[in-house]
Amino acid sequence: MRSFLSPGRVALLLFFLAAALLPFFVDPRGHLLRVAAMVLLFAAMAQSWNVVGGLANQISLGHAGFFGLGAYTSTLLFLKLGISPWFGLFAGALVAGSAAALLSIPTFRLKGHYFALATLAFAEVMRVIANSWASLTGGPVGLSIPFMGSQPAYFAFRAVSSYYWIILALLVLVCLVFHLLATGAIGYRLRAVRENENAAEVAGIDTFRVKLTASVISAALTAVCGTVFAQFTFYFDPDSIFALASISVRMAMIAIVGGLGTLAGPILGALFLIPLEEVANALLSSKAAGLSQFAFGVILIAAILIQPRGLMAYWPKKRHPAGSRGA
Amino acid sequence: MGALLEADAICVTFGGLRAVDGVSFTVNAGEIIGLIGPNGAGKTTIFNALVGLQPLTSGFVRLGGERVSGLKPHRVAQKGMTKTFQNAALFPDMSVVENVTTAALLRHDLHGARTKAEAVLEKLGLNGIAQADVADLTFPQKALVEMARALATEPRVLLLDEVMAALTHSEMDEVMEVIRGLRAEGLSFLVVEHHMRAIMALCDKLLAVNFGRLLAHGTPAEVAANPQVIEAYLGHGAVGKEAAHA
Amino acid sequence: MFQALVDGILLGGVYGVIATGLSLVFGVLGVVNFAHAEFLMLGMYVAWFAWRWLGLDPMLGSVLSFIVVFAVGYLVQRTLIERVLKAPPAAQVFLTVGLLIVIENAALMAFGSEFRSVSVPYQVEGYRLGDIFIGAPYLYAFIAAIILAAVLWLYLERSWTGRAIRAVAQDPMASTLVGVDTRRTYALAFGLGVALTAFGGAVILPYITVSPTVGGQFVVLMFTVVVLGGLGSVAGALAGGIVVGVVQSMSTLVFPIQLQNLCLFVIFIAVLALRPQGLIKGA
Ligand SMILES: Nc1ncnc2c1ncn2[C@@H]1O[C@H](COP(=O)(O)OP(=O)(O)OP(=O)(O)O)[C@@H](O)[C@H]1O
Ligand SMILES: [Mg+2]
Repeated sequence: MRSFLSPGRVALLLFFLAAALLPFFVDPRGHLLRVAAMVLLFAAMAQSWNVVGGLANQISLGHAGFFGLGAYTSTLLFLKLGISPWFGLFAGALVAGSAAALLSIPTFRLKGHYFALATLAFAEVMRVIANSWASLTGGPVGLSIPFMGSQPAYFAFRAVSSYYWIILALLVLVCLVFHLLATGAIGYRLRAVRENENAAEVAGIDTFRVKLTASVISAALTAVCGTVFAQFTFYFDPDSIFALASISVRMAMIAIVGGLGTLAGPILGALFLIPLEEVANALLSSKAAGLSQFAFGVILIAAILIQPRGLMAYWPKKRHPAGSRGA
Repeated sequence: MGALLEADAICVTFGGLRAVDGVSFTVNAGEIIGLIGPNGAGKTTIFNALVGLQPLTSGFVRLGGERVSGLKPHRVAQKGMTKTFQNAALFPDMSVVENVTTAALLRHDLHGARTKAEAVLEKLGLNGIAQADVADLTFPQKALVEMARALATEPRVLLLDEVMAALTHSEMDEVMEVIRGLRAEGLSFLVVEHHMRAIMALCDKLLAVNFGRLLAHGTPAEVAANPQVIEAYLGHGAVGKEAAHA
Repeated sequence: MFQALVDGILLGGVYGVIATGLSLVFGVLGVVNFAHAEFLMLGMYVAWFAWRWLGLDPMLGSVLSFIVVFAVGYLVQRTLIERVLKAPPAAQVFLTVGLLIVIENAALMAFGSEFRSVSVPYQVEGYRLGDIFIGAPYLYAFIAAIILAAVLWLYLERSWTGRAIRAVAQDPMASTLVGVDTRRTYALAFGLGVALTAFGGAVILPYITVSPTVGGQFVVLMFTVVVLGGLGSVAGALAGGIVVGVVQSMSTLVFPIQLQNLCLFVIFIAVLALRPQGLIKGA
């Protein structure tokens, strides 16, 4: 057995500690802290995706669907019924978890392309519905959360640092869930299912239930990220929240670039990609609309061509409880 | 009390091919039954049908008097029947002990499963390679780990699909000793094997199949003397293969 | 009711041609092209500019769309897709998704985000058959689609290249042995696949406006059609197109417009779940 304080875990704990202290060292209202919050939020999103993409090896291109469900559920509950987004956060997780369970029934046998296709279609349909069902969702205009000053009970704060710490707590929570899943009984089962489904069944594993559990947890965590995102940015619309490129693909890409199926992967990936995009945005977005997205696509293509076996070559080669791999 | 395992006129068709065609047999508690037949006779398909990997076209399978046909493999495993794969289907990204632990989770929590896995590996004399990567194993080792993984589900009936295929004679004797030991504990076996020597020495009864049909059943000596069985093997030139192994 | 059926068939024929391209690409290359709808958008822009600058009716401009997008597709295959043909599915997925993002945003930079439409003399005209009104743009698009489908069928059946494409789809190794240049054939097939879709995009220009994000409207639709017909089956895609067109136009009678896409999605998922073997057929 590995000792509790392996170098990887120490590095991870140091990272969380440093992240927690960051607001004391930078301008608490500044842009830098917002970017840092985005890094942490995308790390949490990618980690949520990692539960399905990494542990079960199902490449989902539809997690924006769950993300948006989280954002819409909490925001609509608040705007229409005055329910605090803190409750909305759980409601969103419940809605997204249920959607994932429903989606699992027809898709659990699907693999590779087909799974990607089905999940992509799911998010697309969510987007189209959100756009066209204007009486409920506000349609293409999107939803805005009114500024309310500091009302902690309603998930509203004046300082960016408050949001930042909440997002950090969310990341810690998601990482903890991932770690427990990866190293627990379900982690064994998920790896077995990912490697040989028939053998797993014959060895007594309910492959459907295992996959269902993973996708429901993954969706619920993603929805929580969606609620937090909505509260943090005050505004979203169907095309941005259900976006294929900037949400679904980005979540997957961060996890894959950082190290698929590993605990530290999403954090590394987010630390690398989000600031890179931020810089690209700052340099390019004034030049032409779409240029930074274009660059994102080019990077994605280049990454795959440079590694001709595809990004999957970053797949962790050897077995290891995901918790202890280099942070 | 009836038989422990009962196959009742089971049929499996692939498109037009009747891979298993109305096969019936029973296995009693503590029995070791051999299933023989030339290549492509339908032995593996029968195993898959029994454990629920392959849906039946018609017929029933009962385990301990309870119908298990139509159940998914993990439910069948839970009821006490599992199999090994002919071409070892271990989980490649896991170590040996992790492979076995995964199966032990059927009846234990993680801690208990680890203990169980170690006990099973010990019993099969595999504790030396517990931490090895399955990719680094030899073929006979893989077959034994397959067996260990299946045993970790604590079955009542274990179906072994050519676990002795690549073993030397002394290794084969060791495995047979393990199987006999397990039988003494009450476990039943259905064994597919091309090595006639092992089959004759190990089995209480034999079932011979060809083209998905049951040709003969009885004691090893009876079946080996059955003209139809000899014909089936001669017709497929498999006798030479048996002789070479024997 | 009957009106909806006719509308559905007219729409569906065009969907069929659009999806045929996607199906052809999958059937021959075994790659699910997530960027496929972007080529539809490119085809629409080519036809729009042909109309604007050359005064070409989109029905004629569609030929130009076909040619231009064919060339683009041929190049894309030779420079990008070719390299991931043997890679794991995830690499193919991310490559074509990357392509989708690149093309969409390239269009945004080049053409701006505004919606563009054409005006043609027959735009609001139509024919009356008893109670049924047939809109001229729908009818013409349908006819153009059917003509192209027939030409494609003849091409695949009769021409040497067409046969080579079918041979490669069935057995690339054997085709190489009998002297088929598989790399060229793959590029032809990909070019042809995206060109067909681009053609379909051009002929609907009289009734659908084009913008850089128009592809998004067609992604789910296109995959539904293809999955219905069996991924890789060209004839299946045509039939699937008609079915989807009819379902879509019938569902307007029953469901509010918001739920139409949900309806399509349910069909899509149901087919994926119930006939997964149908997906691989012909691959
Ligand atoms: N999934 C399948 N689809 C179609 N046909 C199959 C399938 N699995 C097996 N078959 C066919 O069924 C027949 C029986 O095969 P099976 O694998 O059961 O034979 P076997 O007795 O185990 O042979 P061997 O001694 O070579 O292991 C063969 O003709 C085989 O080709
Ligand atoms: Mg066999």
